[in-house]
Amino acid sequence: MAVFNIRNREIECKIVYYGPGRCGKTTNLEYIYRSFTKQVSGKMVSIDTDGDRTLFFDFLPMGIGRVMGCDVRLQLYTVPGQVKYSSTRKLVLKGADGVVFVADSMEIRREKNMLSLKDLHNNLKGYGSSVFKIPLVMQYNKRDLEGQIPLMSIDQMKKDLNAQLKVPDFEASALTGNGVGATLKECLKLTLKSLQRELKWTE
Amino acid sequence: MLREAEIYGSQGLFRESLQKYIEARKLIEENPKIKNRASLLAAVSKKIRSVEKALQEVDQAPAATEMSSQEQDLVKKLFAYSPDKDQDAIELEGALALAKFGQFERALAEFKQLQEKDNLRLAASKNIIRCYMAMSDTDSAVDEYTRWLESERFSRRQMEHLGAFFQNMIDKRGLDVPLPALGTVQGGDATVMENDDLAEDEIIDISSIVIHFESGPQAGKQLAVEVSFQTGNVVSLLISSRDKEFIEGLDVGVKLNNLQFFSPIAIFKGSGVVTAKTRIASGPKQGDYSLDIRITGAE
Ligand SMILES: Nc1nc2c(ncn2[C@@H]2O[C@H](COP(=O)(O)OP(=O)(O)OP(=O)(O)O)[C@@H](O)[C@H]2O)c(=O)[nH]1
Ligand SMILES: [Mg+2]
Repeated sequence: MAVFNIRNREIECKIVYYGPGRCGKTTNLEYIYRSFTKQVSGKMVSIDTDGDRTLFFDFLPMGIGRVMGCDVRLQLYTVPGQVKYSSTRKLVLKGADGVVFVADSMEIRREKNMLSLKDLHNNLKGYGSSVFKIPLVMQYNKRDLEGQIPLMSIDQMKKDLNAQLKVPDFEASALTGNGVGATLKECLKLTLKSLQRELKWTE
Repeated sequence: MLREAEIYGSQGLFRESLQKYIEARKLIEENPKIKNRASLLAAVSKKIRSVEKALQEVDQAPAATEMSSQEQDLVKKLFAYSPDKDQDAIELEGALALAKFGQFERALAEFKQLQEKDNLRLAASKNIIRCYMAMSDTDSAVDEYTRWLESERFSRRQMEHLGAFFQNMIDKRGLDVPLPALGTVQGGDATVMENDDLAEDEIIDISSIVIHFESGPQAGKQLAVEVSFQTGNVVSLLISSRDKEFIEGLDVGVKLNNLQFFSPIAIFKGSGVVTAKTRIASGPKQGDYSLDIRITGAE
């Protein structure tokens, strides 16, 4: 749920990075933290294990300036992808205004991607939303590994994950940063559009 | 194959990595002609051992750990959903957020402090029971409860309510734990609950509802609706004009005995009564209905 302060014309919205364990959600945020220094408005907080697995969430606050006369503040979160942290995952998803689904391009993770998307759908339904309603963007991550290990083709991934949804999707490498900004920008665009409709916020 | 195993390992995908190493070992074993076979086998076996160890560490990582106190502060700030409510509500929700994230020690400490406030005592006490039960520390919950019984801070009504709440939790878990009887408690005056409705704090953030119709023309059907707004135990729903046939059966005063509530932490059943029904006269939702349901019971 976005927090909208009409008097100060401030809006705070929440975008959650979702996806199977080890798909690169935290790496996405780390890249954003390093590269969008102008927009980043505070420290990135990662609550993880020694092995870098997200245990609770990552959090990154940003300020993206004025949009339609409103000061837009953005909170980015990642959920823990490991199956065993399902209740935390749901807690972190709560109140999301937009979602980036990070899919792992490695062939061996094919099924994990699909299970995670289903998990997202179920959790959103628990909050009265769904993958069809929420502003959603799909990212096919780890494309830099092409040629090194078996990756799924983009066509294959679209068929697996985006055939029904038909949301904007991007090839990316969170490690090199390729596609990371484009993914976030598109998700932000969709999220703000939907909030404008919902909150009837005008200039 | 070895490179694949190496990459999976470096990404923390130990299960996948292990599998590849084992395949590789098999291949090497089956091919006596491979160069440096012995040393290769030794190297792969060494890899297998180290990946196995890493895998074990991941699998045994605790499901919940204690955060640093700064992290806990952040959780309170980020996950206490209390837009423009009073300070008390914010504090209660902050402690609740900690509990939801498994930070029970600190949550307990905060709930115990909130018990000092008359208006929060009941809610805080329930959450203390919840925390101990979530920690599977029934003994402490019973100790705590016994202390409350002996103290004079709770009214009889409050203790009755807490007792029922606690008993219900014990039953749900299939435990056989006797609770001390209420007999000794003095009657107090600080009655929080006005009527037999569920106390407000009992209900947390309901995001959607499924109404199962038990009688009338829609009997046997069900309607799933998002909650557009919630204050305490009253939820507001927006019912689309497309669902007209359902709206007719939902007049003010109608009791709904078969409701299903979806909240972030649980799905539960319960009952409610329609307290308001308004047809939206203008704007984009024109023609739709806004319906208020007061929740009167939950299982
Ligand atoms: N080659 C490559 N490696 C990546 C990429 N993105 C992430 N990784 C690696 O994959 C591993 C997991 O990345 P994380 O960002 O921690 O994954 P996560 O989705 O946050 O994982 P959980 O927190 O367990 O859910 C790390 O070793 C990253 O370096 C990528 O685009 N290319
Ligand atoms: Mg992570």
